[in-house]
Amino acid sequence: MAKLWAVIRREYLERVRSRWFLIATVFGPVLFGALLFLPAILTARDRARGPEDLSRIVILDATASALGERVASALGGGLSGGASQARLERVQSATLAEAEERATTLVLADSVRGYLVLDSATLAGRTARYAGTNTTAMLEMSALERSVQRQVQLMRMEAAGLDASTSDQLTGVNVTIATERLSERGRSDGNAFAGVLFGIGVAMLLYMTIFIYGLNVMRGVLEEKQSRVAEVVLASISPSRLLIGKVIGVGSVGLTQIMIWVGVGWLMYSVRERVLSSFDAGGLPFAMPDIGVAGAVIILLFFVFGFLFYAGLFAAVGATVNSEQEAQQAQMPVVLLLLLSVMFLQNILMQPDGTIAVLLSVLPFSAPIVMPMRMSMTDVPATHLAGALASVITGAVLATWLAARIYRVGLLMYGKRPTVRELARWVRRR
Amino acid sequence: MSEPAVSIRQVVKQYDGHVAVRELSLTVPRGSVYGLLGPNGAGKTTSIRMLLNIIAPDSGDIRVLGAAHDDPNIVDRIGYLPEERGLYRKMQVRRVLRFLGELKGLSGRDADRRIDGWLERLGLKSGSEDWSHAKVDELSRGMQQKVQFIGALLHEPELVVLDEPFSGLDPINAQALKDTVVELRKAGRTVIFSTHIMDNAERMCDSVCIMARGEVVLDGRVSDVREEHTARMVTIMFASSPPTAVESVLHNRALVTRVDDSHRLVEVELAEGVHAPTLLTALVGAGAQIERFELVRPSLHRIFLDRVGASHVEAGMTGHG
Repeated sequence: MAKLWAVIRREYLERVRSRWFLIATVFGPVLFGALLFLPAILTARDRARGPEDLSRIVILDATASALGERVASALGGGLSGGASQARLERVQSATLAEAEERATTLVLADSVRGYLVLDSATLAGRTARYAGTNTTAMLEMSALERSVQRQVQLMRMEAAGLDASTSDQLTGVNVTIATERLSERGRSDGNAFAGVLFGIGVAMLLYMTIFIYGLNVMRGVLEEKQSRVAEVVLASISPSRLLIGKVIGVGSVGLTQIMIWVGVGWLMYSVRERVLSSFDAGGLPFAMPDIGVAGAVIILLFFVFGFLFYAGLFAAVGATVNSEQEAQQAQMPVVLLLLLSVMFLQNILMQPDGTIAVLLSVLPFSAPIVMPMRMSMTDVPATHLAGALASVITGAVLATWLAARIYRVGLLMYGKRPTVRELARWVRRR
Repeated sequence: MSEPAVSIRQVVKQYDGHVAVRELSLTVPRGSVYGLLGPNGAGKTTSIRMLLNIIAPDSGDIRVLGAAHDDPNIVDRIGYLPEERGLYRKMQVRRVLRFLGELKGLSGRDADRRIDGWLERLGLKSGSEDWSHAKVDELSRGMQQKVQFIGALLHEPELVVLDEPFSGLDPINAQALKDTVVELRKAGRTVIFSTHIMDNAERMCDSVCIMARGEVVLDGRVSDVREEHTARMVTIMFASSPPTAVESVLHNRALVTRVDDSHRLVEVELAEGVHAPTLLTALVGAGAQIERFELVRPSLHRIFLDRVGASHVEAGMTGHG
């Protein structure tokens, strides 16, 4: 046991002391903090500056009606109440092209932000056209759209005989939907968006950690092999123990990093109100779903056994190669296996209870990543959960056993990379 | 304590149809320096790895220090310096050594104390400089060899196994190694080392085992081995360049069967039934000015060449490393 401990400690300390670990560990929370606070703070700053003035546009009205005028006044007065008003130009269908060219010149000269074309299709309630520099600003575009839509509706109502104030009252409706999530644990105000975001976050964190530290195990094995230190070590400890010590040591580094990230993240999240109010920003647009202690423990179990599964396979790869270049090729099957679980991410996000999601959440190679993601988006039946855990644990045990057999032979084997048949012989060797 | 340090019986190891070690049997007495000799590919490293339980024999029995070789407690009593040397390159010297010590069951504190002693002794740590906090990478090759050597001996093993310890060693480190082996021997430890440099083996070993193609060709005490090979070798040192008449005497097959001519120093093997004085008389008669004429027992190198046969001798085999 003392020897195993010595191996674990070496693997752990040598990595935690490295500059790389420090950088990655600091970078995580910085990224998380930026994601958490920046949008809210930036939004607040924008709000303080006031909404973008939608009236800095040219309206080319080819409808021969009052629509252009109405939209202009709605944009000018309606939104910000400012004095400025969109420049209205009445045009004929024949001169429209020419007018658009002039407007384009104005836009490019930066004296207006864009021009809106209203024509018979707009009156018919179908389309209007807009060209400008701010077409990617979704809020502005939807405000513009709403405004045109509302003016068309108002015109139709007035044409049908309703007076202006009644029409105004009838169309002045703006309903937003507040969502609540219902689950066996009860009611939560977290909206679906937060659940999805959290699910992606968890899946990515698990994926990255397993990937990075799995590769780390492989490099560690390769290093021992390349530097020939393996032989000295093997004269003191059995290969399977060395492998287990290595996997535990490296895994603990990954776990330490996750813990620091989650800890700092949680701390940031819990002081978010204070931080945001100091920037005069409102609350977050979403709330983190509460997964509870049991959920956290289950996710941890998935990480531990998922890591064991992949670390074993990566270690076996490391033992069969002689150089980084060879490792690049030989790791592909394992990397693809890991990639499979994030390849169907979109599918799983859209249908967390669909066939693919369910299947991937119980197969040993994808369950460690897909199951925690499903868990944070939907209520997974306990049987699925138990099945997934059992499958991951079995997979981890098998992978470790297989890796130990290959590792034992491969560590002292230099030269040509073994073929699959030779590998099988290694596994069977006494 | 009566049991030998190592006893190997009928050990066989095969790799995919190729026999690396064939029915190997040998005994290493306690407290001796034992040389495992043979050309590359003779099965020395494989035998050593089996002895250390790094690889398993296909059949046969190996006992080390009175226990089965796969007894988990036995490895802590063995020190090993492999032929292919290497350390964790990015680690600090002290941490590497502490790790190697801990793998042999030493506590961190014991290890630290001994590490200091060894580093000072081998000149890696002194008042003016201290390499113990340097990374292995930053050390010269010679210094790395010293560190590796310390790693093998830190836990004061009863049995020390050195695989080709002299390969790649500079003369200073080679001397340090020889001194240490002698000291270990004095302290009653057993040292096994493999080498293809017969000169070293002859000077340092109590007993030797010559292997070729996975088999023992010859083994026993060095003195016995040489005793068995009757003294048919003569070393002649000429005071000046020998005249051609002398050359013809040396190449006379009736007198001499083999000549190893290094110009002024010549080693010859007497032909069957020829006595040394006969050769001496013939040489003097031919006008040779002889500074030294010595009847010697054959060197291990000579015996080795005789027994293994020149056909097995590969490049890199030398008598004087």
